[in-house]
Amino acid sequence: MTNSEKYSKVFEKFFSINKSKLKKLKYQSIPQWDSVGHMSIIGNLEDTFKITMDMDDIIDFNSFEKGKKILKKYKIKI
Amino acid sequence: MIDYVTKVIPGKMANGYKNFTNNEWFFPIHFPGHPNVPGALQLEALAQMLTIAITTLPGNKGRVTHAISHTVRFRREILPGEKLEIETKVLSWKRGLCKGFGKGIVAGEVACEAEMTITIPEILDQYIPKK
Repeated sequence: MTNSEKYSKVFEKFFSINKSKLKKLKYQSIPQWDSVGHMSIIGNLEDTFKITMDMDDIIDFNSFEKGKKILKKYKIKI
Repeated sequence: MIDYVTKVIPGKMANGYKNFTNNEWFFPIHFPGHPNVPGALQLEALAQMLTIAITTLPGNKGRVTHAISHTVRFRREILPGEKLEIETKVLSWKRGLCKGFGKGIVAGEVACEAEMTITIPEILDQYIPKK
């Protein structure tokens, strides 16, 4: 499985959302991505890619697309 | 809903108990002629004990906690005069979010068990995206 597939799968599985809706997915754009959902998705991504994200990056992580850029900092190419 | 905490390992587990004496306020109304401990209060006892495991961590003393979600299973009635032994375990604790498990035991039998998610909003809120 590629990093891109792994990344999408985390969102699809955790938020129970269709892949076609991921590109426009933003924090609080769906009920599941609330503050608790945010912390859970970050934890899932950290486990999946075996990284620990900095506080500033967790706060900046406000959309599916923005997350890809943030993961680049951790040498995860999506 | 806790009388005593008997053992705590901060961030890992907390155990204790609650004695349900005959004069508990809810027995006359839950239910007349067949008093037993309401399930919501059993769950509250488990959740409060899990909270102990988190609020005993350095820097968390006195912080407010909120329940996020609980999945509970009741297995046995708890009657007036019985003692509920409470055992809770922290499964994960990160950035203000705690996932844990708890069970209540009466006379050696599991009376209730729950998967619980609780939070310390003051910590969690530091990590959420700004609008």
